[in-house]
Amino acid sequence: MPDTGDILRLENLEVHFPIQGGLFDRVLGRPAGVVRAVDGIDLTIGHGEIVALVGESGSGKTTVGRVITKLAQPTAGRLLFEGADMTSVRGLSALRPYRHHVQMIFQDAYQALNSRHTVFDIVAEPLRSLRLVENDAQLTERVSEALAAAGLNPPGDFFARFPHELSGGQRQRVVIAGALAVRPELIVADEPVSMLDVSIRAQILQVLVDLRDKHNMALLFITHDLPLAWLIADRIAVLYLGKLVEIGSADEITFNPRHPYTVALRDATPQIHTDADRSKLPALQGEVPSAARVPKGCRFHPRCPLAFDRCRQDEPPAIEVGPQHLSACWLAN
Amino acid sequence: MSESSVPYSTHRRVQAFKGFLRQFLGHGGAQLGFVCLVCFLVLAAVPNILVGPLQTAVNATGDFLVPPSGQHLLGTDEVGRDVLNLVVHGARISLTIALLATVISLIVGATVGMTAGYFGHWADVWLMRLTDFFFVVPSFVLALVITPVVLEVMGRGRDILGFRPSIFVIIVVIGLTSWAFVARIVRSQTLSLKERTFVDRARVAGTSNLSIMLKHILPNLVPQIAANGALVVAGAIYVETSLSFLGLGDPLQPSWGTLLALAQRAGAASAGAWWYLGAPGICVLMVSLSFVLIGNALDDTFNPRRRVIP
Amino acid sequence: MTDFSKDNAPLLEVDRLSVDYSLKAVSARAIENVSFGLRAGEAVALVGESGSGKTTTAMAIAGLLSANALVSGGEVRYRGERLPIDDDAAMRPHRWSETSVVFQGAMNALNPVHRIIKQIAEPCRLKLRMSRGEATARARELLELVGIPADRGTAYPHELSGGMRQRVMIAMALACRPSIVIGDEPTTALDVITQAQILKLLGDLRSRLNLALILITHDLSVVAEACDRVMIMYSGRIVEDGTVGEIFAKPKHPYTKLLIDSIPNPAKGKRMIRPIPGDPPNLVSRPSGCAFHPRCPSAMAVCTTEVPSLDPLGCGRVACHLHQSLTQEDKIAAHA
Repeated sequence: MPDTGDILRLENLEVHFPIQGGLFDRVLGRPAGVVRAVDGIDLTIGHGEIVALVGESGSGKTTVGRVITKLAQPTAGRLLFEGADMTSVRGLSALRPYRHHVQMIFQDAYQALNSRHTVFDIVAEPLRSLRLVENDAQLTERVSEALAAAGLNPPGDFFARFPHELSGGQRQRVVIAGALAVRPELIVADEPVSMLDVSIRAQILQVLVDLRDKHNMALLFITHDLPLAWLIADRIAVLYLGKLVEIGSADEITFNPRHPYTVALRDATPQIHTDADRSKLPALQGEVPSAARVPKGCRFHPRCPLAFDRCRQDEPPAIEVGPQHLSACWLAN
Repeated sequence: MSESSVPYSTHRRVQAFKGFLRQFLGHGGAQLGFVCLVCFLVLAAVPNILVGPLQTAVNATGDFLVPPSGQHLLGTDEVGRDVLNLVVHGARISLTIALLATVISLIVGATVGMTAGYFGHWADVWLMRLTDFFFVVPSFVLALVITPVVLEVMGRGRDILGFRPSIFVIIVVIGLTSWAFVARIVRSQTLSLKERTFVDRARVAGTSNLSIMLKHILPNLVPQIAANGALVVAGAIYVETSLSFLGLGDPLQPSWGTLLALAQRAGAASAGAWWYLGAPGICVLMVSLSFVLIGNALDDTFNPRRRVIP
Repeated sequence: MTDFSKDNAPLLEVDRLSVDYSLKAVSARAIENVSFGLRAGEAVALVGESGSGKTTTAMAIAGLLSANALVSGGEVRYRGERLPIDDDAAMRPHRWSETSVVFQGAMNALNPVHRIIKQIAEPCRLKLRMSRGEATARARELLELVGIPADRGTAYPHELSGGMRQRVMIAMALACRPSIVIGDEPTTALDVITQAQILKLLGDLRSRLNLALILITHDLSVVAEACDRVMIMYSGRIVEDGTVGEIFAKPKHPYTKLLIDSIPNPAKGKRMIRPIPGDPPNLVSRPSGCAFHPRCPSAMAVCTTEVPSLDPLGCGRVACHLHQSLTQEDKIAAHA
């Protein structure tokens, strides 16, 4: 295993979905459009690092997670895991070793669990499918271990239960246990707490942080909530319309954002304590445009309160504005 | 590695099943259909004990076209056979044909529908065109085409899988003409099921496509398949009757349709022998109706908006 | 602010309201002894987790309880008059013209085949008996009110973004000039920036139209931006009631404290938040005494047996034995 330092590296990752044109367009030979869901992303995740991917709906954050878990195929760019190119690896048996190392936690635990399977079968599924256990005794042991690590104690009590017999928090723990069972090195968590009650969230976050602390597991935490990202992550990457606009340490992004979008996102987040260091930028108007019509130049310029001529013409590159702090804004340097 | 390594609480499953049964039998129609069907199944299971062996022209016990009486509860036919005897033996043939044809139809329909829906793209296009073809093929024409082929290949007197050739042909024809309906329903359900997150989860867990279809999609299709299966049986009874009535049945193993055909040819209608036409006719009506009632009740019970126990 | 809000008569009084749901064989109490008042132009938040009874309370006020719900005690008064909240037909004249509701995810409830202006004009025509022209004029006025240019009224719902559609729903709720608007998680399905826009709109409308606002939410931080007063609900009861500033600065009930602590707050610089142990109780098997006691870090023996009453404390109210003993002592001290 070559020690690259990073467990996962995305290089200029691109996911474009073709739009099915209408009958007229096809007859007239008009080119069908593309939805640029992810439009060139560079991101690295280190061993045992928690990286938060923050964005609104339509920013492409879920698609990035689906590419990493090989549920979606990128149209360009590379996906490197431990230095090995996994971009075009496909097929069940070829992906088996990768799936062993990379697992996913889903947002809606109720939807993610087949209501006709017992908790045991749900957690055992990856162990069986990836052929990681030799006999039933081992299987039971691994399932118990995963359930216990996800905070379902004693594990035996949950084996024969069905998802609808569990509370919302317990269901999310089952989803986590299913991902943990294979002892992965990287987990992609897509909004794992957004459907949960506030009082339960902290419990689930604690489980995730413990995994990193005890097993040095890396985590890509996908969320729309900037304070939550600050709470759990080492680094935060902010995504707007398929492109990273800013990336840096959690504290840098939270306390010293250099991109107007990050600032707007921070200011829009409701706060229970009025903090003095809020910027004087006016609130954003409108909503995220469709990824099928990405604006020319900086893709944020139509909504940016600070936009000037250059923003309408040229797309800004990611500029280093601090130690390991990049911002894609012409005003950043 | 065995699939069930944990002692499942069978108690829980039994409870869920009881709850389902209670809800299902809560429908008045389901009760009626269920009782009616059980009666016919008993008839079909032990005809010899109830009415003695099948009567033929040789061992007929009565006079010609006698109206119902104490001795012949449903009268006799034009060669003196007891109509009750014929109807009870006919139940066995009719129900066997209908149920086996439904099994073929459900297996083919579910396989085609699930494959088309799950894989999409070209598999979907081609399988659904095939389905469309079978959707519009008239069963009678197909039977006329297949019958001589089967008889030629297998020989007239030989049994095929324990069935006489003409009955085998009817089973196959009904099976082949009714699966398209099942395939369409299964496909549309599969299309929505495969977008569900638990299928994504299974993919990330490294589960194979076949396994996803069998363990994740099929169990969620069972309600639809069961409810529509009952309707397919009702249709199959009806098609069997019409095919036999048109003369494709086996005179040596008379089904209800064959009886109707014999009655019509014997001039039962003009002779006023209402019992001869009426007995098999009402049987067909009652059995199809019971299956329709059961199918509707199953559909109601499984309806996710009203379902309590998954 | 009008004179009406200056005198102390509340616009709406909820008095010891209890609602039961019958679920198959069992009957479950969704809310118990909920009492509060709402003055004209006041914005109150009902905050709680799923199953806390916040939505049931709001639906009871709006007379929109489901068929298996039963008002088992108490009443709701509007301008001093008892509202027939459990009588669907008698409630009809009160609905939408006195209280109206903006539902969670309601922006997906618009009819996709009609232009939005028509959908806003419809209730005006039916409810206010306006002519077609008057109704359209009113609909244009309402669109402008919620920040949508009136000319956009010819759009179909799918041509609008989620935030715009939620604005349309707010316009519809305002059609009959209600004095109380109930927002049932009106921003939950929206993005952060859109949520901020909608909250700002609700605040603006409130001051312009002197609307009273009842905001139902599970998110305490939303409350801070939009409301004057917060009521924290837990397992069917109000456990704490107070002004926003007071609740956030000096929460009194242990549950409120833990809820506030579980909101990540970069300003405090503390990294990990303290989890509240256990799960929220369900309606059928509610713990004895104070429903929060199994999860409460400062539970006492009395908490397992006796339900604490919601007693005034400071300028708010709190239902906790910790504070009841304090007030008892205070009383004794005052007597001595």
